Amino acid sequence: MLTPAELVWLLAAVAKGDEAAFERLYAATRAKLFGVVLRILRRQELAEEVIQEAYVKIWKSAGQFNPGLSSPITWMASIARNRAIDVMRKRSELSIEEEPAAMEVAADSPDPLARREMTEELKRLLECVGRLEPDRQKLVLLAYYNGWSREQLAAKFETPVNTVKTWLRRSMMDIRECLGL
Amino acid sequence: MAYSEDHIALAAEYALGTLDADERAQVETMMSVDKDFTAMVEAWEHKLGALNQMVGSVEPRPEVWEKIRTAAGLSEPQAPLMLPEAPAPVVAEPEFSELPPAVDNSNVIALSARARRWRNIATLTTAIAAALVAMIAVGAYQPDLLPDQFRPKPLTQLVQAKPPAPPAAASAQYVAVLQKDGGSPAFILTVDGATRNFTVRKVGASAEPGKSFELWLISDKLPRPRSLGVIGGGDFTARPVLTSYDADTIKAATYAVTLEQPGGSPDGKPSLPPIYAGKLIETVPAAAPAPAH
Repeated sequence: MLTPAELVWLLAAVAKGDEAAFERLYAATRAKLFGVVLRILRRQELAEEVIQEAYVKIWKSAGQFNPGLSSPITWMASIARNRAIDVMRKRSELSIEEEPAAMEVAADSPDPLARREMTEELKRLLECVGRLEPDRQKLVLLAYYNGWSREQLAAKFETPVNTVKTWLRRSMMDIRECLGL
Repeated sequence: MAYSEDHIALAAEYALGTLDADERAQVETMMSVDKDFTAMVEAWEHKLGALNQMVGSVEPRPEVWEKIRTAAGLSEPQAPLMLPEAPAPVVAEPEFSELPPAVDNSNVIALSARARRWRNIATLTTAIAAALVAMIAVGAYQPDLLPDQFRPKPLTQLVQAKPPAPPAAASAQYVAVLQKDGGSPAFILTVDGATRNFTVRKVGASAEPGKSFELWLISDKLPRPRSLGVIGGGDFTARPVLTSYDADTIKAATYAVTLEQPGGSPDGKPSLPPIYAGKLIETVPAAAPAPAH
């Protein structure tokens, strides 16, 4: 993986229509973005479609990236992840029941990141998530990593959807306060 | 701009990913009309995005790049592509329990506080890994243990003769943000282009006690505003009453909200000028049904 500064530089070149820079950007980031999307969609073919759309959007909207507000990889991953969640929400039949092959691929993650490799932002966020009650920690993490809807979370936690809604809202407000957002 | 807790929660849940399709479309509409709200959503995306550091990398197949190149309209490569195919070698990473050897021992109190902090994070990350891997493993090997909706569908469903794909797999979606003089959104109206059902989500409005909000359709094709009913009793109001209007009228109309006596205007006419109004914009264009998988 290139450094964030190198990625910012590449994105700036992509914004000017530099195709070689786009290819380098793709080579440097595709595996991370594909990992994020595959974990949510659980299907190789569908995840590839989403990745394709995400990179086309990155190519077209690289000029909108603001290095003051986000990091390149987070910005790009948000584009891919939002697309994956839109696809999930519009095709509710695609819940968890998918090809075992895709599941095995997804089961490789998450990375056991060494703490010195975590960014300060991740450490801070994990501290805040860690202050939630254990069930709510799991709720927030399953929602983020697996892209689950409130209904899916309600089934997992065997609790009414409205309760999940309240828990999610309260958890996000607690995290907000803890992060000082 | 100061946002209500409803707005903040909506932005946070958008970034978390737990909103349904309609709510996501609503947030995207709000983002298109409100820069500050967009900034709030993006701040959440950025904060939560740190979690992606924990997600393992997976290589997509090489043909994905070819498709991106075509779809983005890039020029053909001069020479055969020499993309690195192999993922970066995996470097063995120390576990959380292994503190790095070089630690400043001069400040024992600070160190133990830090160690505690790290233990908490280590416990949490272990919980993440366990939660995710367990769910996946259970799904793959013991589907009976999962709640109904997560179980793999019986194979018999796959051999059922299916009629040709239903026509409107993705119908056009229209959204209107109803607001007062360009202020913060009060209601968000979503209309499904195919069914003409509409949903109103209350985001920033609260009626005075003893009053009701009533929604009106105002069109130059109609002699007077038409009531679409009382809204805002709950967070959501869903109704099919637009079915009696034609598509062009629905698309071109102004949607307005007035404050009426409880239960709505008694004579079918708005009794006061509208307090919130907006027009529909198309957020999801009608699309051909997706190819079957």
